[in-house]
Amino acid sequence: MRLACWTILAAAALTVAGCSSYPDQAATRASAESMVSKSFTAPTPDLLKRLEQDRSQRICSKIGGARLTQEEAAEVVKLARASIQYPPSGKLAGDWKAGEKLAHDGAGDRIQFGRLEKRKENGGLCQNCHALAPGEINVGNIGPALTGYGAQRGTSDAVAKLTYERIYNGWAYAPCSNMPRLGATGHLTPEQIAHLVAYLLDPASPINRKP
Amino acid sequence: MAVVRRGFAALALACLVTPGTGLAQVKPDAGITIGRQMLADDNPGELWIEQGKTLFHQKRGPKSASLEQCDFGLGAGKLEGASVRLPRYFSDTDRVQDLESRLVTCMVELQGFKRDDIVARAISPAGSNGSDIEALALYITSRSNGMKMSVSLDHPKEQEMYMAGEYLFFRRSGQTDFSCLQCHGDADKRIRLQDLVHMTSKKGVQEVVATWPAYRGAHFVVRTMQWRLYDCFWQMRLPELAYASDVSIALTTYLHYQGNGAVIKVPGFKR
Repeated sequence: MRLACWTILAAAALTVAGCSSYPDQAATRASAESMVSKSFTAPTPDLLKRLEQDRSQRICSKIGGARLTQEEAAEVVKLARASIQYPPSGKLAGDWKAGEKLAHDGAGDRIQFGRLEKRKENGGLCQNCHALAPGEINVGNIGPALTGYGAQRGTSDAVAKLTYERIYNGWAYAPCSNMPRLGATGHLTPEQIAHLVAYLLDPASPINRKP
Repeated sequence: MAVVRRGFAALALACLVTPGTGLAQVKPDAGITIGRQMLADDNPGELWIEQGKTLFHQKRGPKSASLEQCDFGLGAGKLEGASVRLPRYFSDTDRVQDLESRLVTCMVELQGFKRDDIVARAISPAGSNGSDIEALALYITSRSNGMKMSVSLDHPKEQEMYMAGEYLFFRRSGQTDFSCLQCHGDADKRIRLQDLVHMTSKKGVQEVVATWPAYRGAHFVVRTMQWRLYDCFWQMRLPELAYASDVSIALTTYLHYQGNGAVIKVPGFKR
């Protein structure tokens, strides 16, 4: 229902844009991208590359959040599947305590006052958007609640693999979702993601504590 | 009156935190929201308005000039209703400018300040007395208090800015894959406990355009729209948004136009 509504809205927006406007889509894109190339500063030139979009990001940037075509969705899924790498050890579930710490860490890799925020590792950012252990109040709600995640799903290899992949690059399952492709973009390492998997699945983890 | 209102809010807060009052469905941050409302009744940002007014009329800079000859679009020195029409196209600079980039232009052209110096100081450190631009932007916007946002896109360059802003609002990039939409595309969303404005709704975007510049409680200073955008890009792990850059003006044009009809009420009060 919601998707249908968005589709109608997007179609209406396109019609309006198509009938009435200069500049057209290509001209808008060119002028906006030129602005992007001139509107940011960074302590080192390589950091400016963060502004460049990869193919999937471009597909996922539709105005109005418009619905993907089937072909676009398939391409994003394909690119996502191809991006996923696993820890060299092959172990997809690491240490839940390390994962718990990461899940509550929202820092790392930000740029301010001409400096890059350098830390040993980036935070996992989970707490920003997901409800975690029962009773935790300081949690966001942009993503689904993860409370009881493992208790509901068990700890099979299949569940561990799915969980790992959804954190590494969730667009393999939900193309263009709000969830950052934390492994594929390099924000987290495979080992860090394995710790998060353990945090979500381990029966001893606070996330699976009975409320 | 304010005391009565505050008393009532305190009472409401007491009801909310008292267990067993049958208010189990209250959002977890309801107490914080009420606390913010109480604080907003005595908005410290008011103090910056007088400072901005003084700065506006004072002869300052290498050219020892006031800003009274600065044209914000309605004629030299005319401030009532100026900010509700910004950003707009200015023929003297041949650019679409928001209030803050226009201030920079006037401080350079009329007062003789160096652009780099102004821009470097534009966003003040937290806990400081604030920057000249922050106080000036608040004072000038406050002269449109009670008036409705009414940005026009009549000039082709205004249209181009708006379209670019719309494109940029939805443009995902960086290691978080974020555009504005990921945090601001839905109602009743939060990052941890911080409420996020639903900016693809008319009501949400109007709330935004009506309340900046705002006093930012956590920073103890007045912040502007330029700061708000800068800080979002920081959290997105992207490079630093340059002050008064075209990306900032494009996004502001998009948001202000979307918010047309909003009644200006500054300073806003933010956490």
